[in-house]
Amino acid sequence: MSVDIIKISPGFEEIMPEDYRDLVNNGSYGKGFSVSELGTFKELIEEHPLCAGCGLALSLRFILASLPDPEDTVIVGTTGCNSLAEAQVAIHNIHSIFGNQNAVATGLKRALEIRFPGRTKDVVVMAGDGGVGDIGLGTTMHSWLRGEKFTTIMFDNEAYANTGGQESGMSCEGTVLNMAPTGKKFPKIPLPEIARDAGCVYTAVVTPSNPKRLGKMVRQAILIARELGPSYIQIYCPCPTNYKFKPSESIKRAKEKEKDGSYPVREYFSPKAKEFVERLEKRVNETG
Amino acid sequence: MYFAAEVEQEKCKGCKLCIFSCPEPNAIIFKPAKKKVSIDPKRCKACGLCLEACKFLAVTITQVK
Repeated sequence: MSVDIIKISPGFEEIMPEDYRDLVNNGSYGKGFSVSELGTFKELIEEHPLCAGCGLALSLRFILASLPDPEDTVIVGTTGCNSLAEAQVAIHNIHSIFGNQNAVATGLKRALEIRFPGRTKDVVVMAGDGGVGDIGLGTTMHSWLRGEKFTTIMFDNEAYANTGGQESGMSCEGTVLNMAPTGKKFPKIPLPEIARDAGCVYTAVVTPSNPKRLGKMVRQAILIARELGPSYIQIYCPCPTNYKFKPSESIKRAKEKEKDGSYPVREYFSPKAKEFVERLEKRVNETG
Repeated sequence: MYFAAEVEQEKCKGCKLCIFSCPEPNAIIFKPAKKKVSIDPKRCKACGLCLEACKFLAVTITQVK
Protein backbone atom coordinates (compact mmCIF):
# COMPACT_ATOMS: atom_id res chain seq x y z
CA MET A 1 0.00 0.00 0.00
CA SER A 2 1.22 3.48 -0.81
CA VAL A 3 1.40 5.70 2.25
CA ASP A 4 -0.41 8.36 0.19
CA ILE A 5 -3.63 6.38 0.40
CA ILE A 6 -4.25 7.48 3.98
CA LYS A 7 -3.77 11.15 3.17
CA ILE A 8 -6.88 13.33 3.29
CA SER A 9 -8.20 14.78 0.03
CA PRO A 10 -7.69 18.55 -0.13
CA GLY A 11 -10.74 20.41 1.14
CA PHE A 12 -11.84 17.63 3.48
CA GLU A 13 -9.33 18.34 6.26
CA GLU A 14 -11.78 20.23 8.42
CA ILE A 15 -14.54 17.65 8.45
CA MET A 16 -12.29 14.67 9.22
CA PRO A 17 -12.22 13.55 12.88
CA GLU A 18 -9.35 14.91 14.92
CA ASP A 19 -7.97 11.41 15.60
CA TYR A 20 -7.75 10.67 11.87
CA ARG A 21 -5.95 13.93 11.14
CA ASP A 22 -3.57 13.14 13.98
CA LEU A 23 -2.94 9.68 12.51
CA VAL A 24 -2.12 11.11 9.07
CA ASN A 25 0.17 13.83 10.44
CA ASN A 26 1.85 12.04 13.35
CA GLY A 27 1.21 8.34 12.66
CA SER A 28 3.89 5.70 12.23
CA TYR A 29 3.20 4.68 8.60
CA GLY A 30 6.42 4.53 6.66
CA LYS A 31 8.48 6.16 9.41
CA GLY A 32 10.00 3.05 10.98
CA PHE A 33 9.32 3.91 14.61
CA SER A 34 10.15 1.34 17.28
CA VAL A 35 8.88 0.50 20.75
CA SER A 36 11.39 2.80 22.44
CA GLU A 37 9.82 5.83 20.71
CA LEU A 38 6.32 5.16 22.07
CA GLY A 39 4.63 8.29 23.36
CA THR A 40 6.15 10.54 20.71
CA PHE A 41 3.91 9.48 17.80
CA LYS A 42 0.24 8.67 17.25
CA GLU A 43 -0.23 4.95 17.87
CA LEU A 44 -1.99 2.68 15.41
CA ILE A 45 -4.54 1.61 18.00
CA GLU A 46 -7.23 3.89 19.35
CA GLU A 47 -9.26 3.74 22.55
CA HIS A 48 -10.28 0.12 23.14
CA PRO A 49 -12.92 -1.45 25.38
CA LEU A 50 -10.54 -3.79 27.25
CA CYS A 51 -10.39 -3.74 31.06
CA ALA A 52 -8.15 -1.47 33.11
CA GLY A 53 -4.70 -3.01 33.57
CA CYS A 54 -5.16 -5.52 30.72
CA GLY A 55 -1.91 -7.27 29.78
CA LEU A 56 -3.28 -8.01 26.33
CA ALA A 57 -3.81 -4.32 25.54
CA LEU A 58 -0.27 -3.58 26.73
CA SER A 59 1.18 -6.32 24.51
CA LEU A 60 -0.89 -5.17 21.54
CA ARG A 61 0.50 -1.63 21.86
CA PHE A 62 4.06 -2.96 21.79
CA ILE A 63 3.38 -5.29 18.86
CA LEU A 64 1.80 -2.55 16.74
CA ALA A 65 4.70 -0.21 17.50
CA SER A 66 7.26 -2.81 16.40
CA LEU A 67 5.75 -3.99 13.09
CA PRO A 68 8.43 -3.56 10.39
CA ASP A 69 5.97 -2.28 7.74
CA PRO A 70 2.57 -1.42 9.24
CA GLU A 71 1.25 -0.13 5.90
CA ASP A 72 1.95 -3.50 4.24
CA THR A 73 0.65 -5.67 7.08
CA VAL A 74 -2.67 -7.46 7.40
CA ILE A 75 -3.80 -8.69 10.80
CA VAL A 76 -5.98 -11.77 11.09
CA GLY A 77 -7.80 -12.12 14.38
CA THR A 78 -10.45 -14.32 15.84
CA THR A 79 -13.04 -14.22 18.58
CA GLY A 80 -11.81 -13.27 22.02
CA CYS A 81 -10.76 -10.25 24.03
CA ASN A 82 -8.25 -9.38 21.32
CA SER A 83 -10.96 -9.09 18.66
CA LEU A 84 -12.56 -6.26 20.64
CA ALA A 85 -9.34 -4.26 20.42
CA GLU A 86 -8.38 -5.22 16.87
CA ALA A 87 -11.42 -3.41 15.50
CA GLN A 88 -9.80 -0.18 16.76
CA VAL A 89 -6.52 -0.76 14.91
CA ALA A 90 -5.59 1.41 11.92
CA ILE A 91 -4.21 -1.53 9.93
CA HIS A 92 -6.12 -3.83 7.57
CA ASN A 93 -7.59 -6.56 9.69
CA ILE A 94 -9.85 -9.54 9.32
CA HIS A 95 -12.06 -11.03 12.00
CA SER A 96 -12.41 -14.72 11.18
CA ILE A 97 -14.74 -17.37 12.55
CA PHE A 98 -13.54 -18.75 15.92
CA GLY A 99 -10.53 -20.97 15.31
CA ASN A 100 -10.25 -20.32 11.57
CA GLN A 101 -7.60 -17.61 11.76
CA ASN A 102 -4.63 -19.60 10.43
CA ALA A 103 -6.65 -21.10 7.55
CA VAL A 104 -7.81 -17.59 6.58
CA ALA A 105 -4.26 -16.27 6.89
CA THR A 106 -2.95 -19.08 4.65
CA GLY A 107 -5.32 -18.15 1.82
CA LEU A 108 -4.68 -14.47 2.34
CA LYS A 109 -0.90 -14.79 2.23
CA ARG A 110 -1.01 -16.88 -0.95
CA ALA A 111 -3.46 -14.47 -2.61
CA LEU A 112 -1.37 -11.43 -1.65
CA GLU A 113 1.72 -13.04 -3.20
CA ILE A 114 -0.15 -13.43 -6.51
CA ARG A 115 -1.81 -10.01 -6.39
CA PHE A 116 1.33 -8.05 -5.38
CA PRO A 117 4.26 -10.05 -6.81
CA GLY A 118 6.84 -7.29 -6.35
CA ARG A 119 5.91 -6.29 -2.81
CA THR A 120 6.34 -7.92 0.57
CA LYS A 121 3.04 -8.21 2.39
CA ASP A 122 3.16 -9.40 5.97
CA VAL A 123 0.30 -11.43 7.36
CA VAL A 124 0.21 -11.56 11.15
CA VAL A 125 -2.24 -13.72 13.04
CA MET A 126 -3.10 -12.31 16.47
CA ALA A 127 -5.43 -14.45 18.49
CA GLY A 128 -6.07 -15.53 22.04
CA ASP A 129 -5.23 -18.81 23.73
CA GLY A 130 -8.71 -20.18 22.99
CA GLY A 131 -8.38 -19.42 19.28
CA VAL A 132 -4.86 -20.77 18.83
CA GLY A 133 -4.50 -23.42 21.53
CA ASP A 134 -7.96 -24.98 21.79
CA ILE A 135 -10.55 -24.33 19.12
CA GLY A 136 -8.17 -23.42 16.29
CA LEU A 137 -5.37 -25.85 17.13
CA GLY A 138 -6.12 -27.92 14.01
CA THR A 139 -5.86 -25.06 11.51
CA THR A 140 -2.93 -23.55 13.42
CA MET A 141 -0.86 -26.75 13.47
CA HIS A 142 -1.63 -27.55 9.84
CA SER A 143 -0.45 -24.10 8.76
CA TRP A 144 2.83 -24.79 10.60
CA LEU A 145 3.14 -28.29 9.12
CA ARG A 146 2.62 -26.87 5.61
CA GLY A 147 5.30 -24.25 6.26
CA GLU A 148 3.11 -21.23 5.49
CA LYS A 149 5.15 -18.04 5.64
CA PHE A 150 3.37 -15.91 8.24
CA THR A 151 3.62 -15.13 11.93
CA THR A 152 1.22 -16.38 14.58
CA ILE A 153 1.05 -14.40 17.81
CA MET A 154 -0.86 -15.79 20.75
CA PHE A 155 -2.09 -13.60 23.60
CA ASP A 156 -2.01 -16.10 26.43
CA ASN A 157 -4.22 -14.85 29.27
CA GLU A 158 -4.71 -18.43 30.48
CA ALA A 159 -8.54 -18.32 30.37
CA TYR A 160 -11.57 -17.61 28.21
CA ALA A 161 -11.65 -14.13 29.69
CA ASN A 162 -14.28 -12.63 27.41
CA THR A 163 -17.04 -15.09 28.33
CA GLY A 164 -16.80 -15.00 32.10
CA GLY A 165 -13.70 -17.05 32.92
CA GLN A 166 -13.74 -20.65 31.70
CA GLU A 167 -10.52 -22.68 31.81
CA SER A 168 -8.63 -22.99 28.55
CA GLY A 169 -6.02 -25.50 27.47
CA MET A 170 -3.39 -22.90 28.32
CA SER A 171 -4.54 -22.45 31.96
CA CYS A 172 -2.15 -23.96 34.49
CA GLU A 173 -3.09 -27.16 36.31
CA GLY A 174 -5.19 -26.50 39.42
CA THR A 175 -6.30 -23.01 38.31
CA VAL A 176 -9.62 -22.01 39.87
CA LEU A 177 -11.69 -19.60 37.78
CA ASN A 178 -15.25 -18.28 37.87
CA MET A 179 -16.49 -21.14 35.71
CA ALA A 180 -13.88 -23.72 36.74
CA PRO A 181 -14.66 -23.93 40.48
CA THR A 182 -13.00 -27.30 41.12
CA GLY A 183 -9.73 -26.33 39.44
CA LYS A 184 -8.26 -27.42 36.15
CA LYS A 185 -7.50 -31.14 35.94
CA PHE A 186 -4.73 -31.33 33.33
CA PRO A 187 -1.53 -29.34 32.74
CA LYS A 188 -0.92 -26.38 30.41
CA ILE A 189 -0.48 -27.32 26.75
CA PRO A 190 3.24 -27.01 25.82
CA LEU A 191 2.40 -25.13 22.63
CA PRO A 192 5.84 -23.51 22.03
CA GLU A 193 7.44 -26.95 21.96
CA ILE A 194 4.63 -28.29 19.75
CA ALA A 195 5.22 -25.32 17.41
CA ARG A 196 8.96 -26.02 17.26
CA ASP A 197 8.36 -29.68 16.44
CA ALA A 198 5.58 -28.88 13.95
CA GLY A 199 7.91 -26.84 11.77
CA CYS A 200 8.00 -23.28 13.11
CA VAL A 201 11.43 -21.94 12.23
CA TYR A 202 11.26 -19.39 15.04
CA THR A 203 9.36 -19.76 18.30
CA ALA A 204 9.43 -17.32 21.22
CA VAL A 205 7.76 -17.13 24.62
CA VAL A 206 7.75 -13.71 26.24
CA THR A 207 5.93 -11.40 28.66
CA PRO A 208 5.20 -7.67 28.22
CA SER A 209 7.34 -6.73 31.24
CA ASN A 210 10.22 -5.77 28.93
CA PRO A 211 8.88 -3.86 25.88
CA LYS A 212 12.16 -3.74 23.94
CA ARG A 213 12.65 -7.51 24.21
CA LEU A 214 9.07 -8.10 23.04
CA GLY A 215 9.49 -5.65 20.17
CA LYS A 216 12.71 -7.32 19.04
CA MET A 217 11.09 -10.74 19.08
CA VAL A 218 8.06 -9.55 17.05
CA ARG A 219 10.32 -7.91 14.47
CA GLN A 220 12.50 -11.03 14.24
CA ALA A 221 9.47 -13.29 13.89
CA ILE A 222 8.01 -11.24 11.03
CA LEU A 223 11.31 -10.88 9.15
CA ILE A 224 12.01 -14.62 9.51
CA ALA A 225 8.48 -15.49 8.36
CA ARG A 226 8.97 -13.41 5.19
CA GLU A 227 11.98 -15.45 4.13
CA LEU A 228 11.97 -18.87 5.74
CA GLY A 229 8.69 -20.15 7.13
CA PRO A 230 6.18 -20.01 9.96
CA SER A 231 7.03 -18.29 13.22
CA TYR A 232 5.20 -18.32 16.52
CA ILE A 233 5.22 -15.98 19.53
CA GLN A 234 3.40 -16.67 22.76
CA ILE A 235 2.90 -13.65 25.02
CA TYR A 236 1.76 -13.96 28.61
CA CYS A 237 -1.02 -11.41 29.17
CA PRO A 238 -2.02 -11.15 32.85
CA CYS A 239 -5.80 -10.85 33.24
CA PRO A 240 -6.79 -8.90 36.38
CA THR A 241 -10.51 -9.42 35.83
CA ASN A 242 -10.53 -13.23 35.83
CA TYR A 243 -7.49 -13.94 38.00
CA LYS A 244 -8.73 -11.49 40.64
CA PHE A 245 -5.74 -9.28 41.28
CA LYS A 246 -5.43 -5.50 41.24
CA PRO A 247 -5.09 -3.96 37.74
CA SER A 248 -1.95 -2.18 38.93
CA GLU A 249 -0.23 -5.55 39.56
CA SER A 250 -0.32 -6.86 35.97
CA ILE A 251 3.33 -6.20 35.17
CA LYS A 252 4.48 -7.30 38.62
CA ARG A 253 2.66 -10.59 38.10
CA ALA A 254 4.30 -11.09 34.70
CA LYS A 255 7.73 -10.47 36.25
CA GLU A 256 6.99 -12.89 39.10
CA LYS A 257 5.92 -15.62 36.69
CA GLU A 258 9.14 -15.10 34.73
CA LYS A 259 11.26 -15.32 37.89
CA ASP A 260 9.66 -18.32 39.57
CA GLY A 261 9.95 -20.39 36.41
CA SER A 262 6.24 -20.88 35.75
CA TYR A 263 6.47 -18.82 32.55
CA PRO A 264 10.08 -18.95 31.36
CA VAL A 265 11.01 -16.62 28.50
CA ARG A 266 12.62 -18.66 25.76
CA GLU A 267 13.37 -18.73 22.03
CA TYR A 268 13.85 -21.61 19.60
CA PHE A 269 15.62 -21.01 16.29
CA SER A 270 15.96 -23.47 13.42
CA PRO A 271 19.58 -23.54 12.15
CA LYS A 272 18.56 -21.53 9.05
CA ALA A 273 16.71 -18.95 11.16
CA LYS A 274 19.73 -18.58 13.44
CA GLU A 275 21.98 -17.98 10.46
CA PHE A 276 19.47 -15.47 9.01
CA VAL A 277 19.26 -13.48 12.26
CA GLU A 278 23.05 -13.41 12.64
CA ARG A 279 23.36 -12.14 9.08
CA LEU A 280 20.77 -9.40 9.77
CA GLU A 281 22.50 -8.34 13.00
CA LYS A 282 25.86 -8.21 11.23
CA ARG A 283 24.38 -6.02 8.51
CA VAL A 284 22.79 -3.69 11.09
CA ASN A 285 26.08 -3.40 13.00
CA GLU A 286 28.01 -2.62 9.80
CA THR A 287 25.60 0.09 8.66
CA GLY A 288 25.22 1.48 12.20
CA MET B 1 -17.09 11.96 37.67
CA TYR B 2 -14.33 9.39 37.24
CA PHE B 3 -10.75 8.68 38.29
CA ALA B 4 -7.64 9.34 36.21
CA ALA B 5 -3.89 9.47 36.71
CA GLU B 6 -2.07 12.79 36.81
CA VAL B 7 1.63 13.65 36.53
CA GLU B 8 3.25 16.25 38.76
CA GLN B 9 5.38 18.15 36.26
CA GLU B 10 8.01 19.17 38.82
CA LYS B 11 8.75 15.56 39.79
CA CYS B 12 8.71 14.08 36.26
CA LYS B 13 12.18 13.23 34.88
CA GLY B 14 11.02 12.07 31.43
CA CYS B 15 12.21 8.45 31.82
CA LYS B 16 9.08 7.18 29.96
CA LEU B 17 8.67 4.13 32.22
CA CYS B 18 4.99 5.02 32.60
CA ILE B 19 4.52 4.98 28.82
CA PHE B 20 5.96 1.45 28.69
CA SER B 21 3.57 0.25 31.39
CA CYS B 22 0.32 1.80 30.13
CA PRO B 23 -2.21 -0.44 28.33
CA GLU B 24 -4.09 2.58 26.96
CA PRO B 25 -2.90 3.88 23.58
CA ASN B 26 -2.05 7.59 23.26
CA ALA B 27 -2.95 8.18 26.92
CA ILE B 28 0.52 9.28 28.05
CA ILE B 29 2.27 11.68 25.70
CA PHE B 30 5.99 12.51 25.86
CA LYS B 31 6.87 16.11 25.11
CA PRO B 32 10.44 16.19 23.76
CA ALA B 33 10.82 19.96 24.22
CA LYS B 34 10.18 19.82 27.98
CA LYS B 35 11.38 16.19 28.38
CA LYS B 36 8.32 15.46 30.48
CA VAL B 37 5.14 13.40 30.05
CA SER B 38 1.50 14.36 30.41
CA ILE B 39 -1.57 12.16 30.80
CA ASP B 40 -4.81 12.68 28.90
CA PRO B 41 -7.48 12.11 31.57
CA LYS B 42 -10.12 11.24 28.95
CA ARG B 43 -8.14 8.19 27.82
CA CYS B 44 -7.05 7.02 31.28
CA LYS B 45 -8.80 4.10 33.03
CA ALA B 46 -6.95 4.67 36.34
CA CYS B 47 -5.53 1.12 36.46
CA GLY B 48 -2.52 2.38 38.43
CA LEU B 49 0.20 0.63 36.37
CA CYS B 50 2.00 3.95 35.74
CA LEU B 51 1.83 4.71 39.44
CA GLU B 52 3.60 1.41 40.18
CA ALA B 53 6.16 1.99 37.41
CA CYS B 54 7.14 5.59 38.36
CA LYS B 55 10.33 5.67 40.42
CA PHE B 56 10.03 9.39 41.22
CA LEU B 57 6.51 9.21 42.75
CA ALA B 58 5.31 11.74 40.18
CA VAL B 59 2.03 9.99 39.37
CA THR B 60 -1.12 10.30 41.46
CA ILE B 61 -4.65 9.08 40.83
CA THR B 62 -7.21 11.82 41.26
CA GLN B 63 -10.90 12.37 40.79
CA VAL B 64 -11.89 14.16 37.58
CA LYS B 65 -15.16 16.07 37.62
